[in-house]
Amino acid sequence: MITKYIGRSFKRGCVQLVRRPMYFLLIVIMPILCCWFLMDLVKGGSVQRVPVGIVDLDNSILSRQVSRTLNGLQQVNIRHHYANYAEARDAVQRGEVLGFFLIPENLEEHALGGRQPVVSYYVNYAYYAPASMQYKGFKTMSLLANGAIVQTALRTVGLPNEVIAATLQPYQTHVHALNNPFTNYNFYLNSTFVPCFLSLFILLVTAFSLGLELKSGLSRQWLKTAGDSMFLALVGKLVPQTVLFTVVGWFIQWMMFSCYDFPLNCNPWNMLSAMFLLVVANQSIAVLFFCFVPNFRYGTMLCTLLGMVSFSFSGFSLPTESLYPWVQSLGWVMPIKYYFLIMVDQALNGIDLYYSRIYYAALIGFTILPMLLSWHLKKECLNPVYVP
Amino acid sequence: MTEKVKHSRLFLWFVQVLKVCGRELLLVFRDEGVVIFFLLLNAVYPVLYALIYNPEVVRDERVVVIDDNRTAMSRDLIRRMDATQEVAIVGYAANMEEAREAMHRKDCYGILHVPRDFAQSVTRGEQGHISLYCDMSVMMRYKAMFTALTNVTQAMGNERLAAKIEPLTSMGGSIIESRQVPVGNPAMGIASAVLLFILPLVLQQSMILGIAMLHGGSIERRRRNGGRDPMAIEAGPAATIIGKMMCHQIVYVLPVIYVLHYVPLMFGFPQYGDLLHIICLAVPFIIVVSLMGQTLQAVVNERESVFLLFVFSSVVFVFLTGASWPRFLMSKFWRAVGDCVPGVWMSNGYVRMQADGALLYQTAHEYWMLWLQVPVMFILAYLVERFVNRRRYRSWIAASEDNPNVLTRIDLAKNGVG
Repeated sequence: MITKYIGRSFKRGCVQLVRRPMYFLLIVIMPILCCWFLMDLVKGGSVQRVPVGIVDLDNSILSRQVSRTLNGLQQVNIRHHYANYAEARDAVQRGEVLGFFLIPENLEEHALGGRQPVVSYYVNYAYYAPASMQYKGFKTMSLLANGAIVQTALRTVGLPNEVIAATLQPYQTHVHALNNPFTNYNFYLNSTFVPCFLSLFILLVTAFSLGLELKSGLSRQWLKTAGDSMFLALVGKLVPQTVLFTVVGWFIQWMMFSCYDFPLNCNPWNMLSAMFLLVVANQSIAVLFFCFVPNFRYGTMLCTLLGMVSFSFSGFSLPTESLYPWVQSLGWVMPIKYYFLIMVDQALNGIDLYYSRIYYAALIGFTILPMLLSWHLKKECLNPVYVP
Repeated sequence: MTEKVKHSRLFLWFVQVLKVCGRELLLVFRDEGVVIFFLLLNAVYPVLYALIYNPEVVRDERVVVIDDNRTAMSRDLIRRMDATQEVAIVGYAANMEEAREAMHRKDCYGILHVPRDFAQSVTRGEQGHISLYCDMSVMMRYKAMFTALTNVTQAMGNERLAAKIEPLTSMGGSIIESRQVPVGNPAMGIASAVLLFILPLVLQQSMILGIAMLHGGSIERRRRNGGRDPMAIEAGPAATIIGKMMCHQIVYVLPVIYVLHYVPLMFGFPQYGDLLHIICLAVPFIIVVSLMGQTLQAVVNERESVFLLFVFSSVVFVFLTGASWPRFLMSKFWRAVGDCVPGVWMSNGYVRMQADGALLYQTAHEYWMLWLQVPVMFILAYLVERFVNRRRYRSWIAASEDNPNVLTRIDLAKNGVG
């Protein structure tokens, strides 16, 4: 008997999926397209050659040396020499350059005379990623300029080169960017943003397909095909979508780890299973929201809002510990947060599965949640009300 | 008014435009869903985003120290690291194994290693080496730890250099002082940088969603009424488009001022822009977005499918503006795609106005590009209205004259019945 009901509701779920081309578009085409978009956009990996300007008020041998060296750095690209500060500022406002290096008058004279001239670099922090690169470049430049002068001075007093190097830079720092040694922006950004994008699609499609039953007034019939069991009705409806989304998710992971060489320092099955759990957990949480608010518009709106905001409050860009406590706690509500932590532990850092056990458990836990509230959805399905 | 003017075609056309505009206003304010998009979304969403990103910078990132040196110099280094805004030293580990365990448990995100011969090397006149191991899951963590270490070692190095070379060369530690002047975003925070890009996009997306939902409602009415919409005003395609566009302009006067002027004010984001100049830039923007919405609405068949079809595009548009990955590094193709989106021009112009104090003439390129999009978008909207929408309505009317139930039956079939 039960197999008959499962078969019937499963068939109904498949038929609905096939009859609307929009589902195919949103489950298969769009997630893959968006994923490709993000990866192709950032394929350069790191921000380099930021367009900057230079204002040289000194025009001495030293200042020209400074601007030549500056242009040789990979972080910045000198697009223009400006005659004065006002011109350079205008160029920043027009968006021609993102910052400029200002060499004051009498730089060489003051430097050699020990009067400590000040070079300034103006960095436009309205453009965040290029600004950090500019800062790096300009800072290196000012150190090099300093070094060049001290080096000449020390050589004249007769010190050997090794001693000069140690004198100039007594402390040598080695910064190890673990498992992403070239600080590749693509690895960082897309190993989190792409699954988050997929989660958004899962939430939207699940909410939409549930809401449509209420709107069309066919929810009673939907329940009847599953023998009046809310659980079977949901399974029949959502399992075909689960299959499609999981396959798409795996395809996206294949693109990440095989085509774009994202770090994968664990058993691939750890990530594949995490993707499957992410799909199911997202579907479950969408069902849960719908159990809370069994109303097409508000249910979908809730899923949309949380799906969109989870890009921000899951701690991908501003790290979790820097967020306000209430934002942090919101982050723990969404499955993508746990997937993110699994990705960091497993794919990126490759540590023992033991440390990620709680995250896997949490993703599994999400699937149980809607069962607790499904009576509410069932009540609504028996008396569907559509509010436009 | 003379009779001649009253019956001239232009006058009648204009009356039709006003009628469409009036009816659209009525539809907007009668529809709770559309009011939510047009007004509530604009009121709440920017505030929510601003609150999330309001901490702006990373403070006190947790770092564990392995100090194999245990000298006054190594302790000085560690104390100075702890004193920076970016880093907090949360503990000492006996060896790398212990530190790694702390990192795996997420008790810290960085490990600072001071080797056994650190102070000895420096005092011998050689270089002292310090290693920092950073967790790379979030870029801002890495940046914070990196900046803190660079600043601390540089300050210590300069002190040492000064002490050493002053007697030799009568020069101070640093011969050339350098100074960073952060312009545009003096707090150097992420909220001030990213939010300004997002604000114009909120306006764009909310308007497109609202317009598409109105259209979805109209389609549903047509499906129930044999292809005719009882609420629609009979008018030509151009009059319909322009009338609706006028309505959207009227509705968006307040949201534009609130989102572009008051939200930065509320959260202390950079606000060097002149309100008048910002509004001048927003005028063509709102016109284009309305036309864009009226072009894209053709893909909508139900009110609620707007969520599926348009919401995710917001993320794509945010990336196209260059808020995260700069536009000068994008491939030509993606830059060209971005050029077609009015929000991309508006965001870049708006950021330069608010953050860098640019005036309208300095954002002339963005301004004219937005105006250039107006006729292009109008032609697209006209073609869609005339050759897609109206053709479809006519076919529905013809079909339901033969069989009154055909439209509802198609709808049922899509929901898996029959």
